[in-house]
Amino acid sequence: MSAQTQASDRSNYRFGWACWIAAIVIVVAAIWAIARFTSDAPVTYAGNEDHFKYGSTGGERSSGIPYSIWMALPELFPQYLPGKGLQSLGFLYEPGKDLPIGVSKRRVMGMDRVFLNCAVCHAGSVRDTPASAPRFIVGMPSNTVDLQGFQRFLSAVALDKDFTGDRIAPVIKKMGTDDWLNRELIRYVGVDLMRDQLITLWRMFSFMDNEPVFGPGRFDTFNPPKVLLNFRMDDLPEEEWIGVCNFPSIWHQRLREGMELHWDGNNTSVDERNRSAAFGTGALPPTLDRPSIHRTEDWLLDAAPPAYPYPVDATLASKGKPVYAEHCARCHGASGTDFTGELVGKVTPIDVIKTDRHRLDSYSFALCVNQGQLYAAYPSERFQHFRKTNGYANQPLDGVWLRAPYLHNGSVPNLWSLLEPSSMRPASFFRGYDVYDPRNVGFVATVGKEGQKAFFAYDTTLPGNGNFGHEGPAYGTDLPEDSKQALIEYLKTF
Amino acid sequence: MHLSRCTRWFIAILAIVCLAGVFGWYKFFREVPQPAFANEGERFKYGSIGAENTRGIPYWIWLVLPRVFPDLMPGPGGYKSFGVVWEPGQQIPVGFSMKTIGFPRIANNCAICHVGTWRANGSDLPHVVIGSPAHTSNLQSMLRFLTNCAADPRFNADTLLAQIERETKLSVVDRLIYRFALIPLTRSALNKESTQLAWMNRPDWPDWGKGRDDPMNLTKYFMTSMPVDNTTGQADFPSVWNLKIRKGDGLFLNWSCDTPAVRSVLIDSALGLGAAPDPTVPLDTLNWKFVRRAWFIVRMAELDDYLSALAPPSYPFPVDAALAARGGAVYAQACASCHQPGQGRTSRLIPIDEIGTDRNRLDTWNQAAADQANEKVKEIGIIRPNMVKQQGYQSPPLDGLWMRGPYLHNGSVPSLRDLLKPVADRTKVFYRGYDVYDPADVGFTTAGVDAAREGWKEDTAVRGNGNQGHTYGTELPDQDKEALLEYMKTL
Repeated sequence: MSAQTQASDRSNYRFGWACWIAAIVIVVAAIWAIARFTSDAPVTYAGNEDHFKYGSTGGERSSGIPYSIWMALPELFPQYLPGKGLQSLGFLYEPGKDLPIGVSKRRVMGMDRVFLNCAVCHAGSVRDTPASAPRFIVGMPSNTVDLQGFQRFLSAVALDKDFTGDRIAPVIKKMGTDDWLNRELIRYVGVDLMRDQLITLWRMFSFMDNEPVFGPGRFDTFNPPKVLLNFRMDDLPEEEWIGVCNFPSIWHQRLREGMELHWDGNNTSVDERNRSAAFGTGALPPTLDRPSIHRTEDWLLDAAPPAYPYPVDATLASKGKPVYAEHCARCHGASGTDFTGELVGKVTPIDVIKTDRHRLDSYSFALCVNQGQLYAAYPSERFQHFRKTNGYANQPLDGVWLRAPYLHNGSVPNLWSLLEPSSMRPASFFRGYDVYDPRNVGFVATVGKEGQKAFFAYDTTLPGNGNFGHEGPAYGTDLPEDSKQALIEYLKTF
Repeated sequence: MHLSRCTRWFIAILAIVCLAGVFGWYKFFREVPQPAFANEGERFKYGSIGAENTRGIPYWIWLVLPRVFPDLMPGPGGYKSFGVVWEPGQQIPVGFSMKTIGFPRIANNCAICHVGTWRANGSDLPHVVIGSPAHTSNLQSMLRFLTNCAADPRFNADTLLAQIERETKLSVVDRLIYRFALIPLTRSALNKESTQLAWMNRPDWPDWGKGRDDPMNLTKYFMTSMPVDNTTGQADFPSVWNLKIRKGDGLFLNWSCDTPAVRSVLIDSALGLGAAPDPTVPLDTLNWKFVRRAWFIVRMAELDDYLSALAPPSYPFPVDAALAARGGAVYAQACASCHQPGQGRTSRLIPIDEIGTDRNRLDTWNQAAADQANEKVKEIGIIRPNMVKQQGYQSPPLDGLWMRGPYLHNGSVPSLRDLLKPVADRTKVFYRGYDVYDPADVGFTTAGVDAAREGWKEDTAVRGNGNQGHTYGTELPDQDKEALLEYMKTL
């Protein structure tokens, strides 16, 4: 064998090894890349309540904000927040948590993403005194979160020329929330994609500029589905413009099945109502995380409000019981756990209830029929129960003490005011403060500021904010004062 | 067994061709029967008449068009903005049928023109009346929308698939099928339809508006090869209930007595909607044609039976019985000879010189077109009484008359009260297609803010919209008119 051939053999041998090593490296890299970039895993929770607070609806798959960006934004753009951090928009942070209640996390394509879940609108905070620690209560209407404020914060960020990868990447590095690869992906791609989405959202949600400012605890429920269907919002009839309403409580869903749900009673199916609400958490029919949302739905079937934590005068409450039975039970149920009653969960015509009609009118027949197309790819889930009604639905009053301010638009700060004729109800008050007012039953609505935190001044004279209706002899507003006292005491037991 | 190399190749290729054929059949031609309907009424509203083969738009494309092209729509509200009847909870509006032929497709059926609604007032929900003229539907604007979509550069796979995938997760194969076949084919089909509809988009040409189409020109230009002419014949959708009283020797249908038999009208109308008993799809040229033709003929017979027996809706508001009884006598004297079933001139031709109504609709049809249409149907292998050409308008029975406004063949008179006025006093401009009822004038509400917003403006000065003629009863004393109006509510 010549030296030349030997050298050639050695070279071939080395080349063969090199090929093998390269192949193995490529295969390993491919497996790693596939595992990383096809990942789709939510953060899961053992307890149902934690799942409700932090579990995913699947919304992060299409609408998710990279966790690192979420964490960096309040640092980088404090000028668009009313105070420090998202807390200043009323988001509730439990001790030791880096994400607030109502925000879920999922690893999608190798990157942690976050978005809203049910709890952002359906969990609230109560304090006994300004000095006490807050208690966070799931299932109650969110009384502090300013969702419109949050949306406007995101829009402002998206429109800011400083919202760039080069500004965000170093902050991510400092926070240590993502690895090098994700950081660079965010720097060169992620921020731009997010800006695209946010600017689209900003344009699509500009219809809200026609509405009074929502403030904490409220949102417009049935104009966003029109946006989802790409209705031409500029051409909406004027009576549909204002749809702002209070977040509702969501306990005891089992007892609500078949009732006319939503403020105007436009749907009788709890399931459908839930999937409809899930659009608000970014979950589209193909991206809805069904096992996860079913877990929340099942839990809500029997979830119950906490008992009224302050003293109740039992004698007075027992005097209130017959007053309630006479004036309220037919529409609002026998008690806080017994929802039987001739008109419970049924719509009272607007000409009878006479409350502010904007929310009713914002839901149109045209939207109603179009909703029959939603979830069409999943026949057992397709929406079939939406109806156009002509009034507002009578709701059971479970946990009514936590559901202030009252009426669908949250225009009446407490039960005491609700039992007054509208001329005596406060024309303006503050929302978003979580200190409880056991005397009037509701949250303290007369305090405009606590430390640096200013509360939202609610003006009942604005269109959509009217505090009239649900008044007169049939509604207890002309009961003698002692009967009102007794009735309110009794309602504390709900 | 030893097979030659050649044979093995042959078998392999054959197997591949067969598999491809099965795949192609499954994805494009596999017919899945529609789910059973609760009753014939539901089937009338949503059942297929066989138009999905040729005129079926892929469901997912159809679904997202209003979302991709909101700027091409008359207003917000998806397909509802064309005024179609849409029942809450239903996936598609009335008059649409969904059927899977390879992929889910959407086409129209009779109900698109023959189901209407009424409300007592604006805050009510619409009452749906099967067989009623679809007086709220603006078919022309829907046709224009679909063809305008196809002509728009946004009608492409990227844009449409982005919307479609917000609703459904397509498999990789289906996504490719949509991208490379269904989306381009749908665009081509709509663009072709656009050229077939060019005649109605001529500048300054009268619009159909709500509750009307141009039936004989549609027949002429879609079914026959007649050249485009200068005629316009916008006419109201008729009611199609109670067809039994429209059957008989010497009785005619269609506004100008163009057809001598109910079955012929059903067949020709279904063919006009794209029903394809003789499909042009090459794969269907085997004996499938006969299967489909047999199905079509049976379906037409079923529709005939259903509509013959379908009762007209009774008037839903109070009627003054005593006044109506007096009106009955007026009717017997002034109207019955032409409008009472069984009477000598009912469902027959009233010469144009006698009736004096707008003659444009009459002039859209001619004998040559009738001959060609008859020939065409015969070619398909369907036997039915032939269409004809006559010189006047038909005098229809007045069953369910209250729900058939506006009146005359072109809907040029808003209410029965107006119809009893001399021509000079009839309303010249009004809004049609708003479904709130006006019991005072007997007809739909055609004036006011809401009618203007939801309705379509009919100007009787426009060619084809003339409100002249049919002056019968206009000279009656006022109290006789009142009585007659009351009586006509009961028809």
